[in-house]
Amino acid sequence: MTRELLWRRVLMALFVAVLAFTGYHAVRTVGDAIYWNAHRDEPIERWMTIGYVAHSYHVPPHILHRALGLPPEPDRRPLGRIAHDSGRSMTEIEARLTYAIVHARPPYPPPAPPENISRPAMPKS
Amino acid sequence: MTEQLLELLTTYGLPALFGAMVLAAAGMPFPSSLTLIAMGSFVAQGELDFWPVVLSGAAGAVLGDQIGYAFGRYGGRPLLAAVTKRIGGADKVAQAEAYSRKWAGWGIFFSRWLIGPLGPWINVTSGLTEYPWRWFVVLDVAGELLWLLIYVSLGRAFSDQVQTVASLLGNLTWVVVGLLVAGFLGWKLFGKQRVEAV
Repeated sequence: MTRELLWRRVLMALFVAVLAFTGYHAVRTVGDAIYWNAHRDEPIERWMTIGYVAHSYHVPPHILHRALGLPPEPDRRPLGRIAHDSGRSMTEIEARLTYAIVHARPPYPPPAPPENISRPAMPKS
Repeated sequence: MTEQLLELLTTYGLPALFGAMVLAAAGMPFPSSLTLIAMGSFVAQGELDFWPVVLSGAAGAVLGDQIGYAFGRYGGRPLLAAVTKRIGGADKVAQAEAYSRKWAGWGIFFSRWLIGPLGPWINVTSGLTEYPWRWFVVLDVAGELLWLLIYVSLGRAFSDQVQTVASLLGNLTWVVVGLLVAGFLGWKLFGKQRVEAV
């Protein structure tokens, strides 16, 4: 009988632990849902491409290309790779992008179209 | 580590997705949900096409699942036989196998998409208990395709909030796993009204 009792106690402890674990993740799920609903900006990570950052932050991509000193052509490299290739740190890339994003949103006037595209090709943006 | 892996995926696209899914399904810790949702976002931005992503991801996952199954069947089973021969308990193993055969089909299907973290374990136990391989493959392909379809579609639909959606789905998955395990333990603890238990 003592063995059965011990077994029950172990199961009980497991049961409580699993409930706590489930509760923790339930709270986090709700937190994520609120965050999602509020549509807050996601932190910039090294796997993201310039295109993704522009898409996620709702800014035109060319301002991000300009912020990193890159030509305004599609660039599918992840930011970590861009950092590596240009000899900059991820922190610097992030700071430059954030600066450009902040200055492309209201209170600031909307950003100008990409300037170094020749005139006839303008209707792109 | 995961950051670097995701970076590789963004750089190399579908072949990297295939490889990552093989490793993840075989049990390597890897943020596969975030990957699939990010891939869905790239689909929305026109950088990748929907079906190639779904099919190459599912193909990788199915291949990875076979590794776990084979490991259980050809590695685990002889080992288990040797252990039971030495210390006994073959009847317990037979009991567990019968139990597993009864539930394994559901386990295989749902651990592909709804309770993903259990997937690699279920692959090994399916091989270990000699769950019929043909049925394993059928359920595996169905479940993995469903997983890819759901996650890539969600990534495509909510393409500007990849990390938040991935985090939400990850937490939600753990809630489902937790509820299942809690339900099972609760049933063991309180379900059987054992009159004779003092």
